[in-house]
Amino acid sequence: MNVANTQDTRIERSTIDLARRWARANLFNGVPNTVLTLVSVTLAVYLIYTLARFVFVGADWEVVDVNRRLIFLGRYPKEEQWRIWPPMWMVMALGGLSYGMLSRGSLRDFAWLGAAVVFILAFLATTTNGMLFGGGVVLAIAAYGLGRLTIDRPLVRSKLRMVTIVGWFLVIPFAIILITGFGGVKPALWGGLLLNVLLAAIGIAVGLPLGILLALSRATSLPVLKGFSTAIIEITRGGPLIAWLFIARFVLPAFIPDAFQTDPIVNSMIVVSLFTGAYVAEIVRGGLQAVDKGQVEAADALGLGTFNVTVFIVLPQAIRAVIPALVSQMIALWKDTTLFAFLGFTDALSGGQAAYNQAAFKGSQIEVLVFVALLFWAVAFGMSRLSQRFERVLGIGVR
Amino acid sequence: MVDKARDLDDLGFDFLSGSGDFPLSTQWLTNYESNDTLLGAYGAGIFNTVRLVVIGIVLATVLGVLAGIARLSSNWLVAKLATLYVETIRNTPLLIQIVIWYTVVFLQLPRVENAIEYSGLFYLSVKGLALPSLTIDGSFGIWVFFLVLGAVAAFALQWWLHRNEEQEGGSKHAVAWAFLVFTVVAVVTYFLTGTPLEPDTPHVVITGANIYNVKGGIQVEPEFAAVLLGLVIYTGAFIAEIVRGGIQALPKGQTEAAAALGLSGYQRLTLIILPQALRIIIPPLTNQFLNLTKNSSLAVVIGYPEIIFVGNTMINKIGHAAPVYLMIFGTYLLLSLVISLSMNFFNRSVQLAGR
Repeated sequence: MNVANTQDTRIERSTIDLARRWARANLFNGVPNTVLTLVSVTLAVYLIYTLARFVFVGADWEVVDVNRRLIFLGRYPKEEQWRIWPPMWMVMALGGLSYGMLSRGSLRDFAWLGAAVVFILAFLATTTNGMLFGGGVVLAIAAYGLGRLTIDRPLVRSKLRMVTIVGWFLVIPFAIILITGFGGVKPALWGGLLLNVLLAAIGIAVGLPLGILLALSRATSLPVLKGFSTAIIEITRGGPLIAWLFIARFVLPAFIPDAFQTDPIVNSMIVVSLFTGAYVAEIVRGGLQAVDKGQVEAADALGLGTFNVTVFIVLPQAIRAVIPALVSQMIALWKDTTLFAFLGFTDALSGGQAAYNQAAFKGSQIEVLVFVALLFWAVAFGMSRLSQRFERVLGIGVR
Repeated sequence: MVDKARDLDDLGFDFLSGSGDFPLSTQWLTNYESNDTLLGAYGAGIFNTVRLVVIGIVLATVLGVLAGIARLSSNWLVAKLATLYVETIRNTPLLIQIVIWYTVVFLQLPRVENAIEYSGLFYLSVKGLALPSLTIDGSFGIWVFFLVLGAVAAFALQWWLHRNEEQEGGSKHAVAWAFLVFTVVAVVTYFLTGTPLEPDTPHVVITGANIYNVKGGIQVEPEFAAVLLGLVIYTGAFIAEIVRGGIQALPKGQTEAAAALGLSGYQRLTLIILPQALRIIIPPLTNQFLNLTKNSSLAVVIGYPEIIFVGNTMINKIGHAAPVYLMIFGTYLLLSLVISLSMNFFNRSVQLAGR
């Protein structure tokens, strides 16, 4: 008995044996599983080989290197570039603060973030830009430290939390005012990945409140309001976004008198916001239905008015319940901003297409497209991971 | 792009009986000619959208179910590969994926004279994929009649064996027997009616100096192939997540109880897990089908003539933007309704009865 035990521990300790046992349990238990494993190994090796060969041998990344500006900023004027930095610092500081307050921080996270910082630094063309970005990183680290410091000071913590939430709400208006205002850059000149980011930001900043309003009016008992918002939601959701964008870009201008014509990009932004609003409305409606009826009755019994019940009792619970779906919608919006490439605007995708259509870079579609796809993937993947983390911290779905 | 005066004059649909005088790049089963009416052009557009959506839904469901099950596989490597697939594809814009499939894969294929081929069975070239097809002759109707008879007989046999199985226990291989009966009937009557199907294999023809074309069989255009591949792989990743969620929502006891009864892994999956998971899966699956339908519109960016492409061409040629877009939205509405209604019908048949 005793002997067997010591033997067991000895086997446990040997890493090779452990690996062998693990492989037997997870990869080679039974004939079908072994066949599956062998097929997958072949597939995995093939994938890794093709990818590695492409990245390090086959691909010529010069086209991306030369056209960085086109892909990231499009036709955005160089001398107005400073306007992008303050909102970016704000995002980094708020990100650090939120991270510090929500999580202890793990080595794995730091490794990922570090890799991202190195990647971005490698991409910034000039030393000035590198230093400006480095400043943002320092700011983020300081904010993270501040967030950690408040862990055992609940009073400061609750105030800081308020500041963070208000900050997140202000960041999009701040960015747009700083970029457009004070003799800034008109939306027609926004371009590259910046255009995609701003489109998604405006879409969510307008679409979220609009969607909540639509959902609330759909849930009322007033027939006219209810019918109106239901019609808007269903008609908007009835067709694909690209059809709406084509209408806004090429059809509507024909029906609007010249005096009321707006910039095509502004029209398209309005369409994207409306479209997002309709989808958000349906998500929020689901959340509203999930709020227990007793909540409203209890609040009514306490003498709260309809407005107070809706804003302070129903909505917070409804939205909390649908945060995952809202994040999915944000990710969908982020990916949908690529549609602007086919409406004649220079977003990251069409900037990339312009890059590989240059005579000097004939046949380099794959490098450019893979790079642009990677940019979109990184943001979308990051968002989905963040939302999962957020859900765990808030305890959504855990009862 | 749009002539304002012409547009505001006429909001009716009379213009559809005129001709737009433009060609469409695909001809598969549509027979549209450039001097046909605009209604004919739009009809071809509807057909092109519908074939994309129908084939796309079937393939995406198959891929999604397989990938969803693979993500929960006890085989570590299989699960990781499926996760890699889902997380890469789901977080990349579909539009970029379609553009990649089209410009990086299908437009880089060899020219027709150097096509990748397999002994006349298929030709894969920059003009697309050509596959063999079958042409029908006079006695086809008689053969179909026998096929229907065979199918009825097979179903009857399966029902009878299945009832026996339930009463007496043990497996009577009902499905296998039914399949066998149907196959025998089909093969025997095929030769009795004098082989009513003629194979039509694709072949390369030279139509001019150094102009090569593939004729015969089914021609899958590169645009269609690129969009279909993009839609299937993208939607499949979302369906995989739905399937995984549906399976994980089941209590673990279901699998354990099935294992305790001695059911094999395949039986557990097909008889116990999937039928129950289906109840959770169908509503979000319907949503994905609707998304696929709307996403099929992205085909317009690589010039596949689906309804928005045809509509935009019509507007370019003769205006009438408002009625054209009304038609486009009507078509999407109709497609969505058909999908929703049939899925609701299907949903009702798998839900728990009573309660």
